[in-house]
Amino acid sequence: MKTRNAFQHEEVFVQLIREQKERFYLLAYSYTKNEQDALDIVQDSIQKAMLSLDRLEHVDYMKSWFYKIVVRTAIDFLRKHNRLQVTDDDTLQYLTPAQEDIYEDIDLEHALEELPQMYREVVILHYFEDLKLADVASILDIKLSTAKSRLYKALKLLKIQLQDGKGETAHG
Amino acid sequence: MDKKLKDLKKQYEEVPIPKELDFVVENALKQSNKKKKNRTPHWLLGTAAAAMLFTASLNVSPAMARTLSEIPVVGSVVKVLTWTEYEVADDTYEANIKVPSIENLENQKLANTLNEKYRAEGKALYDEFIADVGDIKANGGGHYGVDSGYDIKTDNDQILSIGRYIVNTVGSSSTVMHYDTIDKQNEILITLPMLFKDDSYIRVISDNIKEQMREQIATSNEEKIYWVKGAGLPDEDLMDDFKAIDADQQFYISDKGKLIISFDKYEVAPGYMGVVEFEIPTDVLQNSLVSNQYIH
Repeated sequence: MKTRNAFQHEEVFVQLIREQKERFYLLAYSYTKNEQDALDIVQDSIQKAMLSLDRLEHVDYMKSWFYKIVVRTAIDFLRKHNRLQVTDDDTLQYLTPAQEDIYEDIDLEHALEELPQMYREVVILHYFEDLKLADVASILDIKLSTAKSRLYKALKLLKIQLQDGKGETAHG
Repeated sequence: MDKKLKDLKKQYEEVPIPKELDFVVENALKQSNKKKKNRTPHWLLGTAAAAMLFTASLNVSPAMARTLSEIPVVGSVVKVLTWTEYEVADDTYEANIKVPSIENLENQKLANTLNEKYRAEGKALYDEFIADVGDIKANGGGHYGVDSGYDIKTDNDQILSIGRYIVNTVGSSSTVMHYDTIDKQNEILITLPMLFKDDSYIRVISDNIKEQMREQIATSNEEKIYWVKGAGLPDEDLMDDFKAIDADQQFYISDKGKLIISFDKYEVAPGYMGVVEFEIPTDVLQNSLVSNQYIH
């Protein structure tokens, strides 16, 4: 029964939010770099999620579904405040070699912050939030192959070697 | 995990969590529920969906409306009153169901058909609510609410348009709406097909709506989104793009005699767009209209 599904979803949702609110806040903060804006994004995301909870097919998808809402809300926010530069793929490819040079001397202290958002979000979701690359791709609305190549590129920029084998091959 | 990655993760997690987070989160969880209830008066802006569908609609039967239209009656003072209300107010369970009743229609057959429909649906809604509350209690309790009523869209010398809504609140809300439009002078129920010469109106209206959708997407800088092709939205977002209205799409006639086409939440746009309405310019319809009696 539809209403009962929505009802059960709500219980699970409230629990998920209460347990993981700090993780969601950190993710929001990684976009906004600002406390107040990150709080706003968490708030908006919860409200958006509550409104479309009845569309969620299965509670198993709830966590990545909510991550997706947070990411979209954050990106919308940045877009509205003109803090996001949207670049097409061609321009990116053209710019990429130069970026490598810029980040060559990246020091660990600010490494993550200075990583361009498109690489940073993949690292955060995959390594810090322990999501499978396939889920990361779906959250970010990109192809799995794109997620893999961004992750690879991110690690390169961070000068991290994949010695332990965890990474794109492990989850591919 | 690589040592560097571990350090980065640590850094990432060292971002201080503001004290306000708890408050903001709890408030958002609470407010989402409250907001929906408060919003009911503005139900057109924010709500509507397809959880509980009104069945057995008079509107879908042009044949019946035509039969009714053959009975000539003199115009009268037609009114809409609240015939009955069901109210339940528990701590966590709330129901408020208003059932409209159309009065002073000379055409008793039409009045009875509509009123009986409204009453049967109101009763069914109430019974369902009671059954659902029983289910929820058996499952450990929770919040549940039903709010139903009606809204007079147009009431002038000629036209009476009533929109009825049901809002279900179970964590998230869903709303269903349904319109009936009556010609008060001739005392007939107006259906969408009977306004037009033939089926060509479906394509004419659909094309115009698509145009309006694309324009709104463009001018709002994608703040407004409709599932329509040709507006620059990526194809993967358009799993179920809007192609055409139904022959008996929900509609009403505005006070100025314009045709308004209405879509439920999720029907043609993402959930946050709520119920959406499109006014169809009369000159677009002119060639298809039977006459300018209602639409002008």
